[in-house]
Amino acid sequence: MAAPRALTEFIAEANEILEVLGRELLVLEEAGASDPDPDRLNAVFRAAHSLKGLASMFGLETIARLAHRAEDLLDALRLGKTPLNQQLVDALSQTIDVLQIMLGEASRGEDSAESREQAEILGAELQRVALGTPGDAIDVLDQVGIDPQVRAVFTEFEEHRLRENVKKGVGLWKVRAVFSLDDFDTRLSQLNGRLKPLGEVISTLPSSQPGDDSSIAFDLIFGSARPEAEVEASLTEGAVLSPLTSQPLAALPPPPPPPAPKRRVPAWDDVSSGTGSAFAPGPFPSAPSTVMRIAPAPVETSLRSLTNTVRVDIGRLDGLMNSIGELLLIRSNIERIAEAARQVAGPSLPKLWGQELQREARALERRLDELQKGVLDVRMVPLGQVFDKLARLMRRLVRESGKDVMFEVSGGDVELDKLIVEELSDPLMHLLRNALDHGAERPEERLKQGKAGRATIGLFARQQGNHVIIEVRDDGAGLDEARIREVAVDRGIVTREQTEEMERRDLLNLVFQAGFSTRRDVSELSGRGVGLDVVKTNLQRLSGLIDITSRRHEGTTFTLTLPLTLAIIRALMVAVSGRTYAIPLNAVLEIVSVKTGELRTIERREVIEVRGQTMPFIRLARVFGLPEEQRAMHYVVIVGLAQQRLGLAIDELIGQQDIVTKPLSGRLRDIPGVSGATELGDRRAVLVLDIGALMEELLRPQASLEPRTAG
Amino acid sequence: MLASPAVSTLRKVLIVEDSGATRELLRSALETIEVVEVHMAVSGFDALKVLPRHRFELIITDINMPDINGLELINFVKKNPHYRDTPLFVVTTEGREQDRDRGLQLGANEYVVKPFDPARISELVRRYLKL
Amino acid sequence: MSSQFAALLDRFFYRPDEAVGPFLESAPESDRGAEAVPDETPEEFLAFVLDTETYAVPIGAVREILKVTVVTEIPRAKKNLIGLINVRGEMLPLYDVKMRLRLADTAPVVRASKDVGRAARVLLLKDLEGDAGILVDRVEGVVKLQLSRLEEAPELGIDRNAIAGLGRRDHQLYILLDVEQALS
Repeated sequence: MAAPRALTEFIAEANEILEVLGRELLVLEEAGASDPDPDRLNAVFRAAHSLKGLASMFGLETIARLAHRAEDLLDALRLGKTPLNQQLVDALSQTIDVLQIMLGEASRGEDSAESREQAEILGAELQRVALGTPGDAIDVLDQVGIDPQVRAVFTEFEEHRLRENVKKGVGLWKVRAVFSLDDFDTRLSQLNGRLKPLGEVISTLPSSQPGDDSSIAFDLIFGSARPEAEVEASLTEGAVLSPLTSQPLAALPPPPPPPAPKRRVPAWDDVSSGTGSAFAPGPFPSAPSTVMRIAPAPVETSLRSLTNTVRVDIGRLDGLMNSIGELLLIRSNIERIAEAARQVAGPSLPKLWGQELQREARALERRLDELQKGVLDVRMVPLGQVFDKLARLMRRLVRESGKDVMFEVSGGDVELDKLIVEELSDPLMHLLRNALDHGAERPEERLKQGKAGRATIGLFARQQGNHVIIEVRDDGAGLDEARIREVAVDRGIVTREQTEEMERRDLLNLVFQAGFSTRRDVSELSGRGVGLDVVKTNLQRLSGLIDITSRRHEGTTFTLTLPLTLAIIRALMVAVSGRTYAIPLNAVLEIVSVKTGELRTIERREVIEVRGQTMPFIRLARVFGLPEEQRAMHYVVIVGLAQQRLGLAIDELIGQQDIVTKPLSGRLRDIPGVSGATELGDRRAVLVLDIGALMEELLRPQASLEPRTAG
Repeated sequence: MLASPAVSTLRKVLIVEDSGATRELLRSALETIEVVEVHMAVSGFDALKVLPRHRFELIITDINMPDINGLELINFVKKNPHYRDTPLFVVTTEGREQDRDRGLQLGANEYVVKPFDPARISELVRRYLKL
Repeated sequence: MSSQFAALLDRFFYRPDEAVGPFLESAPESDRGAEAVPDETPEEFLAFVLDTETYAVPIGAVREILKVTVVTEIPRAKKNLIGLINVRGEMLPLYDVKMRLRLADTAPVVRASKDVGRAARVLLLKDLEGDAGILVDRVEGVVKLQLSRLEEAPELGIDRNAIAGLGRRDHQLYILLDVEQALS
């Protein structure tokens, strides 16, 4: 029944809701059981509620049912009927995982019995947890004397909050504010911001009394323990305070001492910087004092997260990028005409005309630059999207492992191209898992080494120029060089002689070689090798680098270097046998020229020496099977990823250029050594070389065997 | 007034719904009716801004929304002399009897519980717009 | 009559291109004498020439008809891949189908429009695995064929996999190309 557009919209929206749920849940858990922020509780409830409604609209009954159970539990939680405890958080956290799996299935049109069964079990668990104490028998609200007209529009939650405020014995006020229709939302949020530190804004009601056409009145129901004068003083212009209750509150039980004012706290991403949160079992009922609590973020963020984000289909962005490319072509055409007109250089008219055109072309270029930047910005999303998910997963893994590990996260606010961020979660998870399984030692072992009993695993991101650096760091056992050497030789990846000449860093990097490890190595070698080649390949696909540093008994750090965006890269344009190719500049270390006479061969492979380092000399024309020209001098583009170096011989250097890389469609996905194409001014498609893949291919031991004869 | 169904002007309907997917569904349901022009608001605040700008002949609102909730919006619409005669439907997940009673008490003309049948929505719209 | 087809064809053309050859007549009476299934609506096919033979593909499978401009060769690609073409920013493969149909031993080397005949065109075909172009010698036009009257390709020792069937209209034989197979 649903239009396809609506279905895509649903999947995206549901995913976003789950992200919000996960994030908010994490914050609630960090904050501990005492006095959770009502706005946050309501936000979590709303998320589950929306998901239920959405899923049922789209006929996804299993998802709807499970979301419904979660909603019931969260409803009980926000209405104070059930306490916030570890059991509840665990159940919800698992629910989010299962919902995510089911959503993934739904997007592929699948529906597995396994996840349905899991949903069933979890649903029952949620129901069990939700069974709490029934609410109050006597409604205190009846005693306060609030205008029934006002109460009629309160939601159950608002009534509950009102009741809580009445129970606390704080003053209840009505703040009437008249704002212009143009900016009432910003003005309201300003007013809210000033009221919030003094108490709780229970409800915001638009007044039905018609004002003039350009303004609108609101009644804010506000509970505060502060004296009237202080509340009055906090109001913004145009707001008037009046008591809400017709009866004095003194008639009620005496109020407890006023609660401490809520702290103003920085947002979630800032708070987590440089501090750790313990994943030691059982932070409830209160978090351990050694660990800084992640305090609740200002309420605006939690309320906005569901609606104020812009979701953009990456396909549409690509379309936009295409039209920008088109505009760029127009620009160069205009420029060419201008140049031609100037060359004609008749008396005065054509020349003026040319100048005019040139000015236009410059203006067009400026606009295009802005447009391009704007589009790129839209593609950027915070790494926090992935970090939050990873934090949730790590929390569970740590608990399951029974180890005592502190997990630190920072840099969630660093932004990266959406495509890169989405591809990062698997490699990062892999690295984190390895750090936990094989890096972090048990407390006994650590104490023996003279280290703190609690291990630390960190995930840090920072921006550095046009790159983002992500580190996965642990202070665990570190890598065993001797064992790496042995295994690499055993597996025939390198010879013993080669390992003897290798620097320590190169030796460590052997763990990224395909075929380095088998499952058997897991326990012997801290299991670091398992699947690390896959991690590396994934990163290379993103034009990223991975490097490793490790010290025995001190820990291991994986450093990932990623470009900010894949969409526009700076490239070196080169010519080989009359063909043009683009080499991403981030892989280019330097360009040298060598005379043919300077070439040497080692085992019949041509090599060059650049500043004392010997590296393979690869004729690109030969690799690509193109006709080769005899020449006395070669341009060599030295490319490198991590610690590997390679000299690519080309015929001509054309220059540097910003290019928009287009992926090659389905049928062309597996062209070796080519990552995409870009267009030049004459509409010609130019292939963009995949340096990572080329190096992988050309430096492979088998490749070195190929020209060699027996013996 | 637009009493005759033969009148060729477009009939403006406002959808207030924070879920994009649900908005799309409602919109496609309404767009099966040729003469309907669909306007959309993504929150209660948004609706308050849009309302004075057009002469809507029908409002469809969700209940559970950020900023102001749907009940508050119904109250606002139904107590305001400018809008109180405009038919208003609630389309919501809140299916409990007390929720429905509340919505209708505040003046909602129809109360539809999700998941809804798009055909039923468009039929209701036709009826209220006398199409 | 033919203006209706022109309109239909029109949306397949990339504007700067010149129109392709005359559109084929498809008057209902040309079906006379045959045992047509009553009330069957003939399907529309785009007819084109490869070498000396006339082929056809369902018109719904054709995304666009393009003139040959610049083609970028792709090193180490499959033999039937002529190269990469840039269709308004989209990078799409251009394939040779003559090899598959045993009309040629090798794929042609095409880098620019001068490497092909004046009438040569690229048929951009819609395909699940990704849209792709095929190089044809000439585009004939739209032809209506009745599905119920298509024949199976005879055993001629050729690779019949790439041929979906044969269609006939008056004296002209149309070889229906199985797009998916022809590109594989």
